[in-house]
Amino acid sequence: VLVFTRRRGEAVIIGDGIEVRVLRVGRDGVRLGVVAPVTTPVHRQEVHQQICEANRRAADPAAADPAHRAAVEARLKVRLP
Amino acid sequence: MTPTSVVSDTSPLDRLPGVAGAQTDREIVTFPHGLPGFEACKSFVVFTADAAPFQWLTSVEGPPASFLTVDPRVLLPSYRFALGPADLARLGAEEGSPLLWLAIVLVEANGTVTANLRAPIVINPTTMVGHQVMPQDCLYPLRHVVYTPTE
Repeated sequence: VLVFTRRRGEAVIIGDGIEVRVLRVGRDGVRLGVVAPVTTPVHRQEVHQQICEANRRAADPAAADPAHRAAVEARLKVRLP
Repeated sequence: MTPTSVVSDTSPLDRLPGVAGAQTDREIVTFPHGLPGFEACKSFVVFTADAAPFQWLTSVEGPPASFLTVDPRVLLPSYRFALGPADLARLGAEEGSPLLWLAIVLVEANGTVTANLRAPIVINPTTMVGHQVMPQDCLYPLRHVVYTPTE
């Protein structure tokens, strides 16, 4: 782990073209500005974590088996509008 | 070496007995970043479930993982989701490009069916690139209840 001390207005540069700048330092939080290439995903960690967990819950490792798929689909019982 | 001799006999679809050949126009969708939690899964196929209008999104590379999905607008006709420039760039799409939207469906142990409307999967059929959108601020729930068993 690299540890930096940064003051308001200072930044770190990661790789090619990713900049993380301290915009404001408060008592309970630090406001960061991230400049990254448009194709680089940047997310709050907790949002990313929530979606990872939702995906893991929903992932079915056995759906290559048609009989298994049929069993899962039989549990849907959904009447859609 | 003739060109035909370099064609591999084993396509990724061979890993999916019962799926391969079920639909002739099936093609592989590339997810350059994988899916959150499934970063090693970069290639998927989409095929229609027997239970319409659901669709399966099945990994053909990396750990076996399939997701039951449905177009979120089938569940919620008013569903609206604005893709930002970063999402469009990742998909190789432009504003107004026709896109395939899929919400991941979960059948819970007690039979409750939910759909993840917060982080939909979006596929650009022109580039065959897909991406799961993770909005910073979203009104739609991660666990939208589609069906609750009554008994």
